[in-house]
Amino acid sequence: MTEVTSRNVAGDKPIQIHDPTLRDGHHAVRHSLGAEQLRAYALAADAAGVPVVEVGHGNGLGASSLQVGRARLSDDEMLTVTRDALTNSKLGVFMLPGWGTIEDLKNAIAHDVDLVRIGTHCTESSLAERHLGFLREQGVEAHAVLLMSHMATPGKLAEHCARLVEFGATGVGIMDSAGHYLPADVTERITAMCGAVDVPVIFHGHNNLGMAVANSIAAADAGASILDACARGFGAGAGNTQLEVLVPVLERVGYRTGIDLYGLLDAADVAERDLMPAPPTVDSISIVSGLAGVFSGFKTPVLDVSAREGVDPRDVFFELGRRQAVAGQEDLIVDVALALRGAGTGDRS
Amino acid sequence: MTDNDSRAVAGRLSVAVLGAGLIGIDLMTKIARSDHLDLRLVVGRDEATSGLRQARQFGVPVATGGVQSLVDREPFDVVFDATSASSHAEHVEKLAPSGTMLIDLTPSRNGQMIFPTVNRADICAHRDLSMVSCGGQAAVPILHAISQAHEIDYIEVVTTAATLSIGRGTRMNLDEYVDTTQEAVRCFSGVTDVKAILNISPSRPPATFRVAMSLLGRDLTIDSLHSIVLAAAAEVRSFARGFEVKACTVNDGEGFVAVEVTSSGDRVPRYAGNLDIINSAALLAAESYAADRLSIAGEVYS
Repeated sequence: MTEVTSRNVAGDKPIQIHDPTLRDGHHAVRHSLGAEQLRAYALAADAAGVPVVEVGHGNGLGASSLQVGRARLSDDEMLTVTRDALTNSKLGVFMLPGWGTIEDLKNAIAHDVDLVRIGTHCTESSLAERHLGFLREQGVEAHAVLLMSHMATPGKLAEHCARLVEFGATGVGIMDSAGHYLPADVTERITAMCGAVDVPVIFHGHNNLGMAVANSIAAADAGASILDACARGFGAGAGNTQLEVLVPVLERVGYRTGIDLYGLLDAADVAERDLMPAPPTVDSISIVSGLAGVFSGFKTPVLDVSAREGVDPRDVFFELGRRQAVAGQEDLIVDVALALRGAGTGDRS
Repeated sequence: MTDNDSRAVAGRLSVAVLGAGLIGIDLMTKIARSDHLDLRLVVGRDEATSGLRQARQFGVPVATGGVQSLVDREPFDVVFDATSASSHAEHVEKLAPSGTMLIDLTPSRNGQMIFPTVNRADICAHRDLSMVSCGGQAAVPILHAISQAHEIDYIEVVTTAATLSIGRGTRMNLDEYVDTTQEAVRCFSGVTDVKAILNISPSRPPATFRVAMSLLGRDLTIDSLHSIVLAAAAEVRSFARGFEVKACTVNDGEGFVAVEVTSSGDRVPRYAGNLDIINSAALLAAESYAADRLSIAGEVYS
């Protein structure tokens, strides 16, 4: 592995922290956050000076479903309460084309959303063309992120980022949705992407292999200027990059985030107290998910289905990895479990 | 004798395909096999597209210039619209005056929705038929059958298609795909709370076209669901041979049915059952119309 000698390259460079605690965290609690929970955390994050607070169902606008989980609150309710709680922080939302539509974007715009992120699987950037074009016409700041990015080469990611900029994205980046990366993987990808675009580059980490903070620092050192992180790492499986760890580490190696340390630690305490039964941990199943390169959000449904069908959830994860399941393909879990159990429920067994 | 009658004299209806993308070119191959349809023109965007090249190699006359090139020529009995949802209404407006039957493969939600195993009888009463969407063609026959026998509160349809089987038209029409598929499920199941989702998979080898349906209904039982689904699937196989049930479960009032569709060949690879099922349904609609127009004794398919 190449040395990630951050101290040599980092100067007084600003990093924008993007906080999807109230969106990605939903994956950890079956999309069940209520209005008071959203309000409490949004107020605390706003007070700490977190620049962007993203809210929504775990898969974004319009994604409440049996496939991924039905949200307790509607998009309207989530947007209303979070908008109301934010004074300085920008309100962000996330949408996957195919899950949400332009109607959902219009609704978010009616709620005065400041920043919209459009996500696609890492090789499918063209799915975002129409929605990014719509946001550009509406004059809404629009970023684009490539999910499950470990499934594409650095060169491919760079190409897709360049296309997303052509479609109208004013920030582009990658999600390590399976928590599969090691720092050198991130360095290589972010470097390629920064060479291909002249807009801010985003990195969104997951902690399945305990690498989320190190990967985020590697991303910053390679030129990323927007980093995603969640309070207490609140997120699917092993969780996301832990916000209140990342920020002081960034400051220590010479980046500026503009976030107040005590305010941040207070917000993280609020998150632990109000949002989650327990902070995410790198448990056995999350390690397997990271190794297999399968979306961390599959953890809950994999455990549910495996228990029901009497199969080893680790086998399910490795088989999903072999089938190259992308985020959103939760319906494959049942088939994989049935196949592992050796059951023929179909009509051509 | 009207114009329409004179066109049908040869014993075959004159047909054009508007749009030379993945759908249009596979349709061309399927139409060419029909005894009752005479493919006279394929219209593409410009000469250089691979679709028009394939059509020319196939020996079919080609044209560019969109719907106008159809208006400028003889009236066609049947035009398959394989362009984009936003263009379909204009195509109807331009072609309807000459009595043309339009069969719409875009998710425009314009015409009468047709699912051959569900409402084939509606075909001849309309001149603008909507084939809805590939996911709709795979899901509605199953969901219609289930909702006849059970009290269903909520339906969700999750489609997965291989990236190579999704052309630019569909990529730009994702919202229409979602809306139109939802509308069709509502219409043919009588259930109002419906959600459609589309995933695109880049896996290698490519993922077979797949539609997973989840249903909430307190009276669902596995025995009942299983027999209804297998019977409906057998009917769909009468025109889409590669239609298979991959999973069928019931847990705590939640039914789950997954089907996969492989293509029977023609211009599309095996995994691209999405193109095959909607095109096969469209062809069946055209042949039903031809059977009616040409007064062929008996049905084209039985």
